[in-house]
Amino acid sequence: MADAPRRRRPASLRRRILRLVTLSTILTWGLATALGYRQALVDVQELMDGQMAETARVLLAQAQHSSNHLTDLPADMASMRGTKARRGELALEFQIFRSGGSVLMRSARAPALPLDGGLGYADVAEGGTDWRSLTLETADGALRVQVAHPARSRNKEALEIASNAALPSALLLPPMLALIYFSVRRGLKPLDDLAADVASRSPENLAALPAETAPREAQSLVKALNRLLDRLTAALDNERRFTADAAHELRTPLAALKVQAQIALATRDPQQQGHALAQVLVGADRATRLVEQLLRLARLDPIVRLPDPRQLDLAEVARASADEAGSAAADKTLRLVVPEEPVAVSGDPDLLGVAVRNLIDNALRYTPPGATVTVSAGLEHGEPLLAVTDDGPGVPTEELQCLGERFYRGREASAEGNGLGLAIVHRVAELHGARLEVENVEGGGFAARLRWAQRAEAPD
Amino acid sequence: MRVLVVEDDALLGDGIRAGLKLADYAVDWVRDGEAARLALLDHRYQACVLDLGLPKKDGLAVLRDLRARGDALPVLILTARDTSADKVTGLDAGADDYLTKPFDLAELQARLRALIRRAAGTTMPFCEHAGVVLDPATRRVTRDGQPVAISGREYALLHDLMIHKNRLRTRAQLEQSLYAWGEETESNTLEVYIHHLRKKLGADFVSTVRGVGYRVGGDS
Repeated sequence: MADAPRRRRPASLRRRILRLVTLSTILTWGLATALGYRQALVDVQELMDGQMAETARVLLAQAQHSSNHLTDLPADMASMRGTKARRGELALEFQIFRSGGSVLMRSARAPALPLDGGLGYADVAEGGTDWRSLTLETADGALRVQVAHPARSRNKEALEIASNAALPSALLLPPMLALIYFSVRRGLKPLDDLAADVASRSPENLAALPAETAPREAQSLVKALNRLLDRLTAALDNERRFTADAAHELRTPLAALKVQAQIALATRDPQQQGHALAQVLVGADRATRLVEQLLRLARLDPIVRLPDPRQLDLAEVARASADEAGSAAADKTLRLVVPEEPVAVSGDPDLLGVAVRNLIDNALRYTPPGATVTVSAGLEHGEPLLAVTDDGPGVPTEELQCLGERFYRGREASAEGNGLGLAIVHRVAELHGARLEVENVEGGGFAARLRWAQRAEAPD
Repeated sequence: MRVLVVEDDALLGDGIRAGLKLADYAVDWVRDGEAARLALLDHRYQACVLDLGLPKKDGLAVLRDLRARGDALPVLILTARDTSADKVTGLDAGADDYLTKPFDLAELQARLRALIRRAAGTTMPFCEHAGVVLDPATRRVTRDGQPVAISGREYALLHDLMIHKNRLRTRAQLEQSLYAWGEETESNTLEVYIHHLRKKLGADFVSTVRGVGYRVGGDS
């Protein structure tokens, strides 16, 4: 049970598109937020640096101007240390010192910043805290003011700004994803329609799909499907024709048998009864032959290649077939034309014999009394050839290509035949790698040839 | 009653012809569509049994031609094509009935009888006039309830006259109805049969329309 393979669900185009679009959307949103945070950091830095500079200048001016009152300064400057309650105010610490190094004044939480730091802005780590500091000095260089605030608060500020911007779009994400879902569904609806259209096709309805209403992306699919539908229609038509023909060929002799038997039962005229019974025998023979031919074809059909091909002599096949058919020739002449030396091909002599006898049969059947039927074997341009030729009326040109179709009997045909003979010959030829050629002979007559083409076929 | 059988299969055609002859029909049998077309142009038939898959001209084409000419001849299609689509096509092309192979000779005969009496404008399965009753199903004739012995040709002639009761049948119509191709008609045979019928059914049963033909019933 554990080994049972899990059935894989086929990949859904809709899910795929949904997943990709959703991921892209979330990714884009995340990227925008990150960029926003970065920009906020820069902006906050500029803003804070500006405030520090302002404070530092004020302090410097104050210190220079009234160094005596410096003691009051921390209290004055208390408001500079922002409280949580007042956003936008900076938690600024400061110290004022002489250029020599001695600190004159410092705010309560001012860090012990290194005093030797240069003038201007600096990022300094001190006491486990990252500081941003600005150091200014008076024009004479006697006093220096250093203002600083923890970098942490600046990051916090930037984060706050960035999240303020990102939050609304984060809230918009779910409705947006819902919109995407519905859009994808709606966008793929033509595919669903197409699928419904295809599903509605059946052997009774193989009409082409409407190409003009299909989406452009599905056009090639629709066209391919339409070509398939075309081929399917043709195949089905073929099948139906075959079934109709087979029905005709199978039912007609049965109908004849039945009618003749019923006449034999109904009539009181012994002569008519005898005739009807003789007809029953003829009908039974015909039905037997039909069944044999059908079985032969049915056995040949599934074979892909000859089971046991061997070297054989076509002249011998022709001779044996002609001998066998000789008695059926009756009022016609059967002629055999074969060379002295063997005509070697590889194949099945029994099947080839069946093919040749079918050809002889046809020739005898479709020629008037007194006709000559010639069975020949030989080499033509080095190609082995087996032929049955007659001097009868030939076959109408437009029907030549239909010969070999199962159950096809010429439109002019009034002689008995079941239209399977040439189909069998055709199949035997196929299995032997030979070609069946049928044509009218100049000067009257019909020829059927089995030709073994050379490997390299020369263009005509 | 003369019937045209169009059937390309020798064995079956021979059988149908023999079977219909047993029922005293005059039967012409042709084996391709072209011959059928010509036969239908040249002769008056009471019915036609038509195969569909025919050499030279398809059975349906023969039927359509016939109907295009306005010919109301009853046509029974007799074919191996047995799908309902085939039947619909055949009936819509103008066929009056459709029978598939193999079939029963008795059924074919019964269907032809039905077609012929319909075409003659009656629904009654037997013909009756002046105490004479002719039953096409059994080919028995009775006069005042008593069976009348009657030959095949006499029966065919009587059937023709009775099914066209009260209508004049010309000599030519009667002869066409009585004889198939190749069956000899001597100049006075019709008179001989009429004479026999009068002897068996009463002198007044068949009236002569001088120089034209005969009639059963109607004003004389």
